Amino acid sequence: MKYCDKCKIKIDTKKTYCPLCQQTLSGEISDDLIEKYPEYISINRKVYPVTKRIIMFVTIVSMIILLVINFATYNGRLWSLIPIGSIFYFWILVSVGIFSKANIAFRLATLTSLLIALLVLIDEASLSEGWSYNYLMPILLTVCNLAISVIILIKRIDYRDYILYLLTIVIFSIIPIVLVFFKVITIIWPSLVAFGLAISILLFIIFFFPKSIKDEIKKRFHA
Amino acid sequence: MNKESKHDTWFRLDNSGKIFPEVSSHRETNVFRVAISLTEKIDKDLLQLSVNTILSRYPMFKVKLKKGLFWSYFDYNSKPFIVEELKHYVCGEINPKKNNGYLFRVMYRNADIIIEMFHSLADGAGVIMLLKALTYEYLLLTGKDVKPDNLISTKNQRPSIEEYEDANSKFYNRKNKKHVPEKRAYRIKGSPLSEDLTGLISGTMSTKEMIDLSRNNDMTITEYFAALMMHIIYVTQIQYRGHISSNQKPVKIFVPVNLRKHFPSNTLRNFSNFVKTDLVMNQDDISFEYLKSLVKEQFKKGMTKSELIRKMSENVAFEKNVFLRFTPYFLKKYALKIGYNMLGVKLNTMSLTNIGKVDFPESMEPYVKDVTAAVYSGRYNTLNCSIISYKDRLKITFTRSIVETTIEREFFRHFTNLAIDVEVESNYVEEY
Ligand SMILES: [Zn+2]
Repeated sequence: MKYCDKCKIKIDTKKTYCPLCQQTLSGEISDDLIEKYPEYISINRKVYPVTKRIIMFVTIVSMIILLVINFATYNGRLWSLIPIGSIFYFWILVSVGIFSKANIAFRLATLTSLLIALLVLIDEASLSEGWSYNYLMPILLTVCNLAISVIILIKRIDYRDYILYLLTIVIFSIIPIVLVFFKVITIIWPSLVAFGLAISILLFIIFFFPKSIKDEIKKRFHA
Repeated sequence: MNKESKHDTWFRLDNSGKIFPEVSSHRETNVFRVAISLTEKIDKDLLQLSVNTILSRYPMFKVKLKKGLFWSYFDYNSKPFIVEELKHYVCGEINPKKNNGYLFRVMYRNADIIIEMFHSLADGAGVIMLLKALTYEYLLLTGKDVKPDNLISTKNQRPSIEEYEDANSKFYNRKNKKHVPEKRAYRIKGSPLSEDLTGLISGTMSTKEMIDLSRNNDMTITEYFAALMMHIIYVTQIQYRGHISSNQKPVKIFVPVNLRKHFPSNTLRNFSNFVKTDLVMNQDDISFEYLKSLVKEQFKKGMTKSELIRKMSENVAFEKNVFLRFTPYFLKKYALKIGYNMLGVKLNTMSLTNIGKVDFPESMEPYVKDVTAAVYSGRYNTLNCSIISYKDRLKITFTRSIVETTIEREFFRHFTNLAIDVEVESNYVEEY
């Protein structure tokens, strides 16, 4: 035990000074003493790496330049949205798709939905031919539906975490059919395939996992 | 419990727990610690095994925090929980991403087992129950002949719903929920420590001597400490500087009250409330004697049943508000943040938590040397204090986010000047 004459306290430490008043402690301590608390090792807080900041800066500046040129030479088409949207999507793809540790079904659902939004944007900003609605939207939804279903079948244990995202994509898959009614979509068969698959998956969940879907909804929506 | 139902487990956050996820950051971590010193070096693998046992006994801790449409909730966590070696951080942020989603940590160093808990999940009394159960399982695994003596819930008992009920809403009274507006409190000044540092100094004294000392003053230990703390803050920070504008703010010591002692409940979740000392100290001649009688009076007022129910109902009413309830979560968190800024840490100068006496079964006592409790300190409460006692060891632990140790020094010198022995421990933050 060491001792501080000023504070009149006892302390078990190999350190020289009193933690209360910074005076030199008197007394001896055995050599095999292990300090009660570990030593402080400074850990510098992570700052954004310089390269990341440079890339961010360059992309934002180029987006502004693109917008300026587009408006300066405006001919009725917002073509600058195509590269800007693609750059945004690229960033999300990198951060959500590669670096995020989030739920894989969530990542798939997010990336697919945003990809569809991007493709629609490109379609509209270019020649408005409708290829994005007619083909890519229903096909991507179908692929995403199948992918999440396969993941759920493989990762049986965690399926509760994924089922809500599957349900979201299933509901999104109804959108193309609605667009058919509004005559936005003219090529019907891809939308029908997407719809058919979505309904089958929905029925499968309702027939085979009625409790888990009910529980999941109860959890997520309790007020 | 079969495997199927285990995975379906989920819990609502309790009333006080709902606020913490929104207002916590690496500076205001809302994490607190309890630690136990045993007689032998901790075996990491056995500790891991006992934690696994405990987690299946207490499903309410085997959870991760997830967001719903209206509220966040605790969902069953299928990932493994890993015990770690103690690092220098004291009550540092619990980042679920780095912790397999878990909202608490179990650490070890030498002969110590340390639990750090995010306040959403439980309060001090709840974690003490967890610590006792963990120590029991650990001692059992190391081959000690220990018995639970009804003081500890072992793996042989089934988890009960009572353990994770939200007792706050149970005693909620719609007719007694008036909101009493409060002024911002005085903030203890000092030079800030680096962000990943929390200074810790604890002093151990004789429980008996402390009880005698406070009895001679006709007070409880908590009241005596709160009055002494007011006095020391006054002497070291405010006296003869009453004209300075920041010294016009009231000094308020926030003292949590364990409601399990006032209302019947055995929940492990948050079930505590508070009393506060409250005084503007801009006069030059406030005596310790005056502060003692003031604290006694303010505590008496704050601890009446109807006042405790009012404070509880005030919080529950906020949550039960129809508009807030059906606001989507991503908007609601801003409402909660604003509400917390009106009710939260800025209204307190420091917090003084008395966990109280920890009892172990007689068969465990030879293996338990000491217990420690500590709470985080942040930007607003730059100095906090926790008290816990075990047999004749009463331990006061100060945690600080400032360099200065003046208040701790004067606090402990008060006792050594009364010829009471104080044994100090510190995490020695020397290089700033
Ligand atoms: Zn000293």
